[in-house]
Amino acid sequence: MGILKILFFILVLAVNIEARPISYSGGSTIMIKSDSLSNSTYFHYSPSFKYSIGIENTNNKIFKDNKNYIRFTYLLNRKNALNSQRNLYFQSGIDVGNKNNHFYGAHGDWETRRWFAGFGYKNIQSKTNNDYENKYIQFGVAPYIGDYGDFHTWLMVKTRKSSLTKNTSTYPILKFFSGDALVEVGYDNRTNWDLHLMYRF
Amino acid sequence: MKKVLLILFITSPLTWAEEGNADMHHHSHDGHLHDTMVNGKNLEVDVERFDKFMEGIVDMNIAIVSVQGMVCDFCARGIEKAFLKDSSVSKVDVDLDSGKVIIAYMKSKEIDPDGIKKKILMNGQNMTDLQIIKI
Repeated sequence: MGILKILFFILVLAVNIEARPISYSGGSTIMIKSDSLSNSTYFHYSPSFKYSIGIENTNNKIFKDNKNYIRFTYLLNRKNALNSQRNLYFQSGIDVGNKNNHFYGAHGDWETRRWFAGFGYKNIQSKTNNDYENKYIQFGVAPYIGDYGDFHTWLMVKTRKSSLTKNTSTYPILKFFSGDALVEVGYDNRTNWDLHLMYRF
Repeated sequence: MKKVLLILFITSPLTWAEEGNADMHHHSHDGHLHDTMVNGKNLEVDVERFDKFMEGIVDMNIAIVSVQGMVCDFCARGIEKAFLKDSSVSKVDVDLDSGKVIIAYMKSKEIDPDGIKKKILMNGQNMTDLQIIKI
């Protein structure tokens, strides 16, 4: 991916796009993800709303290997407005078993109570397997505006591309959250299920 | 690529979430809840919601906090948790529509505007205004 494209993503799309929220200070989060490329379980703790540290167990379905990453996520920039919030995050991870296996990337988001947009870029470096990149953009709309404590629903569309499979897929996602729990379910006939569960303590 | 991310990482402390905004005022108000404040400013709350919040509340200090960036229920959870950890807080209400957080403090507790501002910031949002009502 060229530098100009990355700059475009970070500096231009970040103005209009959204990703995942970061924990509040002292908060912990567990995330379980499953898609056509991997299954992962990720637990992180946020000493501050600016960053989080955690550990992620990832099972790569293509290479059929298992890695445990120490992860670090940093909030590069946040813009709070009366009716919107915009975020830009840096993410990185290093394999506990082999420091030559690591990844880095960025993701960002822009969100109102009605609209949502997000993007992500991740570069995975591996000593034993091929290096590869994953990237996505995601847009959503809330069909109704719920009050605090209600059951919330988002209708979303995600476009994802991986240099590992060389596939680009666009598919619908349903996102639900209530209280401290969040569920995202997506399905595409080429890449199958995209599941994401999150619980915040 | 690495250079771009490195530059972003290094320069990020300069581009932090802007802490609070100007135009922050603290008000103290005794008497009717829906009246104009002593400085002429209206009490900016959803009246019906506020009345519901006030049911059963007597002899309390109420803080009405205006917050920027509170657009998501999931993201606002930390605000409620942070205030409820304070033993002098008996009740918290988050109104996403108006961007207000209403907090009921024990009468004996002197409300600390800087403390409230810090708690909001620790959740990643910004306090822009604070109104205090004594019940």
